[in-house]
Amino acid sequence: MTGATFVFALASGLAIVFALLMVVQKAPVKSVLALVVTFFGLAVLSVQLAAPFIAAIQIIVYAGAILVLFLFVIMLLNLTEEAREKDTRPIQRWLGLVSAVALAGLLLGVTLRAPPAPVLRPGDGPRIPAGDEIPLLGRLLFSDYLFAFEAMSVLLLAAAVGALILSKRRME
Amino acid sequence: MNVLPGVAPMGVPPEAYLAVGTILFAIGLAGALLKRNALSIFLSIELMLNAVNLLVLTYGRMRGDLAGQMIVFFVIAIAAAEAAVGLAIFVALFRARGTVEVDKVNLLKW
Repeated sequence: MTGATFVFALASGLAIVFALLMVVQKAPVKSVLALVVTFFGLAVLSVQLAAPFIAAIQIIVYAGAILVLFLFVIMLLNLTEEAREKDTRPIQRWLGLVSAVALAGLLLGVTLRAPPAPVLRPGDGPRIPAGDEIPLLGRLLFSDYLFAFEAMSVLLLAAAVGALILSKRRME
Repeated sequence: MNVLPGVAPMGVPPEAYLAVGTILFAIGLAGALLKRNALSIFLSIELMLNAVNLLVLTYGRMRGDLAGQMIVFFVIAIAAAEAAVGLAIFVALFRARGTVEVDKVNLLKW
């Protein structure tokens, strides 16, 4: 077993086990903490896929910002545990589980039997260079993807204002 | 699998990454369908987003193309905006109804 295979097996195993824990867990706080481990595993996989920048923002934005926001809201609402009362829709739960497993099988069958990636011609787009790809990524962000980048900044501003208005108390 | 000049060959076959991403997506989907707490459903949706991010990164790596990383970057930024708005909605919902259990929020159901 090579080093890359070992790291891959460790990271993907951690990610899948803690994702399952996240679903099984009743207390929302524990769900969030399990998801943190999953995201760290995914960040390791991103590094292996030659995307260290994505791995960094995955940890900073997802584990650092979004999941902390989740924790804040859970503690603000004082959600200790999911209600233990009777399940009103047992058939629908089973159907949901069955359809999730069926979709997993379907997608696995399709993705693993897909034809290999098409051959790239020269000039098809920016390539992942051998060494440091982050400067190229930055140049791409401010040239080809400039419009998307600016639209994103407007979207983030709108989301921040919207979140503020939604969550503040009504002033009578 | 073709290896482009400048791209090191992958140590692990890309199909393994695709399988991991697909399994994580299915786990997230199962969570979104089985959970009854709105926050847990939202967490499962975040997991599904991340699973798809892994798939996009893998396909980008297979093609040796940086576009995959750019797409993932934008997906993460939009997910941040979505999380802020979604959590604000849950806070407002909790203020109005005193619960975030999706089975109990059924005013618009029938």
